[in-house]
Amino acid sequence: MEQKTKRSVGQFISNFSMPILLLLLIVIFSILSDRFLTPLNLTNILVQNVHIAICATGVFMIMVSGGCDLSIGYQMSVAAVLVAKLLSNGVMGVFPAVMLGILICVALGCFNGVMSIVLNSPPMIVTLGTMAIFQGISFLISGSKTYHNLPKSFMFLGQGKVFGIPLNAIIALVVIVIVGIILSRTHVGRKIYAVGDNPEAAKLAGLNVAKIKIMVFTCAGILVGIAAVLLAARSGSADSNTGVGIEFTGIIACVLSGVALKGGEGTLWKAIVAVFILGVLSNGMQLINLGTYPQYIAKGVIMLVSLYLSNKTAKAA
Amino acid sequence: MELLELHNITKCYPGVVALDNVSISFRQGEVHALVGENGAGKSTFIKTISGAVQPNEGKIVFDGVTYDHLTPQKSLELGISVVYQEMIQFEAMSVADNLFMSDGSDSGFFVNDAERCKKAAELLEKFQCHISPKTWIRELSMANRQIVEICKAILRNARVLILDEPTASITVEEQRRLFDVIRDLKKQGVTIIYISHRLDELFEICDRVTVLRDGQYVKTLDIKDTDKQGLIQLMVGRELSENYPVKDNPPGKEVVLKVENLCGNGVKNISFELHRGEILGFAGLVGAGRTETMLLLYGAAGIEAGTVTVNGNTLSVRSPSDAMKAGIGLIPEDRKWQGCFLDKPIYWNISIGNIKSLCSGPFIDRKKESEQADYYGARMRIKAPDFRVKAGSLSGGNQQKVVIAKSLASLPDILIFDEPTRGIDIGARYEIYQLMIELTKEGKSILMVSSDMEELLGMSERIVVLHEGEQTGTIEKPDFSQERVLTLASGIA
Repeated sequence: MEQKTKRSVGQFISNFSMPILLLLLIVIFSILSDRFLTPLNLTNILVQNVHIAICATGVFMIMVSGGCDLSIGYQMSVAAVLVAKLLSNGVMGVFPAVMLGILICVALGCFNGVMSIVLNSPPMIVTLGTMAIFQGISFLISGSKTYHNLPKSFMFLGQGKVFGIPLNAIIALVVIVIVGIILSRTHVGRKIYAVGDNPEAAKLAGLNVAKIKIMVFTCAGILVGIAAVLLAARSGSADSNTGVGIEFTGIIACVLSGVALKGGEGTLWKAIVAVFILGVLSNGMQLINLGTYPQYIAKGVIMLVSLYLSNKTAKAA
Repeated sequence: MELLELHNITKCYPGVVALDNVSISFRQGEVHALVGENGAGKSTFIKTISGAVQPNEGKIVFDGVTYDHLTPQKSLELGISVVYQEMIQFEAMSVADNLFMSDGSDSGFFVNDAERCKKAAELLEKFQCHISPKTWIRELSMANRQIVEICKAILRNARVLILDEPTASITVEEQRRLFDVIRDLKKQGVTIIYISHRLDELFEICDRVTVLRDGQYVKTLDIKDTDKQGLIQLMVGRELSENYPVKDNPPGKEVVLKVENLCGNGVKNISFELHRGEILGFAGLVGAGRTETMLLLYGAAGIEAGTVTVNGNTLSVRSPSDAMKAGIGLIPEDRKWQGCFLDKPIYWNISIGNIKSLCSGPFIDRKKESEQADYYGARMRIKAPDFRVKAGSLSGGNQQKVVIAKSLASLPDILIFDEPTRGIDIGARYEIYQLMIELTKEGKSILMVSSDMEELLGMSERIVVLHEGEQTGTIEKPDFSQERVLTLASGIA
């Protein structure tokens, strides 16, 4: 009996290592800077990271299914410039433009999925290729211009508040909860884990592995589209560099939270907490006057340390 | 003379005692078999010798020198080599490169390819292995890859050679050659530690045998002083009345599966009928196309020609899910890669094939799912503390039961068992045989592919024999004999 409680304490710590780490960082930065623990700053951290959290959710789905997507940043870029161009030229209303932005990401995600199946190559390499294509598409749409003058109703999506809570955070919460329920409670979610865990066994268990993988890439496209819209709405402008590099933050957050690189393992809420760990870290470092470059180094170091830790726990098991 | 002695070795893992005070000694120039069921501690014991595992207690004496433990480097230095069942080799490099990768014989900056190939060819020739040293490892058969590993050990002047299940995936002919190699090494004074699940071959090649059970030393015997029944008794710690349970329900007249002129996936013109409640065996050497035929039936490979009729309906199976809908279930050959989701809980493994039917609306009904696991777990007699533990933590036999449960959960009518007991210990084997017979009593029909001759003859009611992708014959029960199967399997008749 005693051993059981001992083990469950250990399990508790490993299960909640993400929130514990987050709290630890908050405590450290609160001590180091008196500007950190203020309602304004905390709200800032929240709204600056919601689109990353949504993207990370997409990255999470893809990684759990055994894939990887390096093109997410430029998918966002395509959607953001497309929506911003349509809106600033006044060609379309806000609703159809937003829908079109999400749809284009769905198409790009689907393209990624189909390509990785058709070419039968590691998705990391396939999406390295599609990333270049999407980059080209984005710059063709934007013509290297930055679009301002976006309608108020559009910017409300990213800057507005409902009952004092930022609207974009509410949207993110709803989206993430829905994906979380799909992954953990439905047969579709179960199959996504199965495909990532052991594609061969999944095939022989009667699952259509190719279909599931393409579906995951496509669904991740929806999330990327939403994230692109929220980011453009929050910053009130968009150019072809909008969203670029976000996939790395997403991948780092997933790895940090213990998503297996081979697929099949991971817990969504932990990955979301990991996004905010990275967010708090960069915000806090800024407040104590460590600039952007040390932040890059910190992110990289965290990634390497978490790889080390996950290998260690894998060996211990 | 005792070359290698292990005294009072104890190795504990969290919650498990893998080896409990085991002492065994090995003489110079003997072939010493190590037998025991899965989980008996054989692999931990080997790893102790190879230095991969450091024991908690005990000492190792090699050639008169005492060590607390060995490290992999030390073990190599002493001349201890292991040929593992799953060989770790440089797949996309030549035989010669593999042989001389780490022997340090290269002087200068450049690799002397010609010299390497010449030396490699000489060595291979010694073992009647006529392959070019320039061949890539990936192109070799399992048996030849083994020979390459053994050559590597000899290059390192091995004094102790450990062979882990060397005959698991090679043909009878290749086995004969391997035994010649072993006898040759023995003459040169090399000590061979031989691990195998196939007890028959021990009597052909070994001098002494040590039995382990549940991490404990049971007995060391001269092979002359025992027989197979005696060994089994020592391994399981009880007397097994028979190796195979009796199937007293004759197959029905009704044809549940009719295959005509099936072609594709490297096999051609396979035709047979399966009756309700029948166990139909498939024999053949490695590469004869048995598994390939099963994958065709199961929709996991493309059918080029021929018809498959299940219960009178002609099917077009294009994917495993088509086959499952038609009532065909597969228990695949490679449990770890094709059957089990090792990182996932038992209940999860059982439900993955029929997860949709356990849903209410879009959501998985957890209660139904765990009831299903309880039902099949009890029926398959899966031994696990809890059905939420990972499948990977179970023994081979129990993993196999999980895979069978997974197939049964989709309510198949016809079950394909591909190597149902490979790597499974004797006690669990018997249980799986009993399960197969129970299933036929419920009206299910079974196709069984096996490389284990005794299993085929013991369990099947008819045997289809394949040779290099073609069907060479079907043998009825009264005509069953090892010779008859082998003759057809080697394509002589």
